[in-house]
Amino acid sequence: MSKNNTPPIEPVTVVFLGVILLAISIILITFQPNLESLNQNAGSDITSQLIIAFITGITTGGLSCLAMQGGLLASSLAHQVEQDYAENKKVKTRFNARLPIFLFLLAKLIAYTLLGALLGWLGSYFTFSPMTRAILMIAIAIFMIGNALRMFNVHPVFRYFSIEPPKFITRYIRKTAKGTDTATPLFLGALTVFIPCGVTQAMMATALGTGSVIIGAALMFAFTLGTSPVFFIIAYLTTQLGARLEKFFMRFVAIVILILGFVTLDGGLNLIGSPYSFQNLTRNFSLLQTESAPEIISSEQTASDNEITLYVQNQGYFPETLKAPAGKELKLNLVTDGVYSCALAFLIPDLDFYQMLPPVGTTQVDIPAQTAGTEMYFTCSMGMYTGQIVFE
Amino acid sequence: MIKKIFKVSDMTCSNCAMKLESLEDTLDGVKEINASYHKLEMTIEYDESKLTEEDIVKAVKKKGYTASIRK
Repeated sequence: MSKNNTPPIEPVTVVFLGVILLAISIILITFQPNLESLNQNAGSDITSQLIIAFITGITTGGLSCLAMQGGLLASSLAHQVEQDYAENKKVKTRFNARLPIFLFLLAKLIAYTLLGALLGWLGSYFTFSPMTRAILMIAIAIFMIGNALRMFNVHPVFRYFSIEPPKFITRYIRKTAKGTDTATPLFLGALTVFIPCGVTQAMMATALGTGSVIIGAALMFAFTLGTSPVFFIIAYLTTQLGARLEKFFMRFVAIVILILGFVTLDGGLNLIGSPYSFQNLTRNFSLLQTESAPEIISSEQTASDNEITLYVQNQGYFPETLKAPAGKELKLNLVTDGVYSCALAFLIPDLDFYQMLPPVGTTQVDIPAQTAGTEMYFTCSMGMYTGQIVFE
Repeated sequence: MIKKIFKVSDMTCSNCAMKLESLEDTLDGVKEINASYHKLEMTIEYDESKLTEEDIVKAVKKKGYTASIRK
């Protein structure tokens, strides 16, 4: 491959694109889209659901997709474009590089919209339980972390986290793409439907939950459309920049994937009520530091011998730690007042309790008698917001 | 026809394996190529009268990788 065909690298472009990716990662950390609020708030406006799906795509979805599809398909496309230029001895123009990427994303968009329609149709038959979702999240997290470690070249064993498509698929792609400029990106774009990333899978679960062909399709369309800009930037970069910078960006992506992987793992651990999730460990640690702090035991929690109250708000559950008497049955009052976040999807893994709370009102949960020292964790159904009841 | 295994240590993803397998279409005398990113190697079945090890190494180099015959 002729190096002469590689365009000169403009540091300004690199910095600019780096800043865009950094901004996305910051948004990703500060903004936490509420996936389940899409299917839980059945009464809310469909347009706002689609906007949330789009924002989820443009923030977490785009980067997460890179873990599953970026390395395999986008760079495949990118290298092919690069190779085409080298072989055809054409003068590189931005337009030529953009077209196949656009076709790839278009095919991906169509494929996922159809998938959304299919999931919406299937949604009326079955849905994911919180435990199934927890297992899925943990499996996805392991896959993401493994992929990030593979990208860092930590150990040869992590290479097995990269999916190698069956020979007949790669051969078929080659044969159909022969002599054409459009078949490969279109086919590869459609193929991404078989390797959805973690966020995409969560969105697929959401589409499944809609139980509607049209809303399912619209959700997946909005989400996939949202993932497109980040995907386009990365794919475009790989075609335009040299191998050195590609490595730089792959490392950057690897770091983001690693962080996302741990966040997903933490969510999965919260969903199964594990005391070893990051949130639960840090809460327990801070609890030890402030054991005698008065705010931990509020008047509401001890208002009655057998009733405790938890305030459910858009930002989570307050107080995060409730103290309750051991050895007797209790009533847990969940108070909501104008709540529309995923905190409404309330889960106590140890009791196998899951309920969608009303945006306004009080919901009572029966808690059986617990032994002293028991820590009972509760969480939203995505493992984002958490808290615990300590029995003593 | 002869079958040989080449070590390609600088593959970085599954797509690299796909790129190497595409040599099937361009290298005269090749019957089949199976490249694996997991193993970092490429198994190639080819006609010795039409192709040499050197030709293969050169073709792999053109794709941007370094191949060496596995001992």
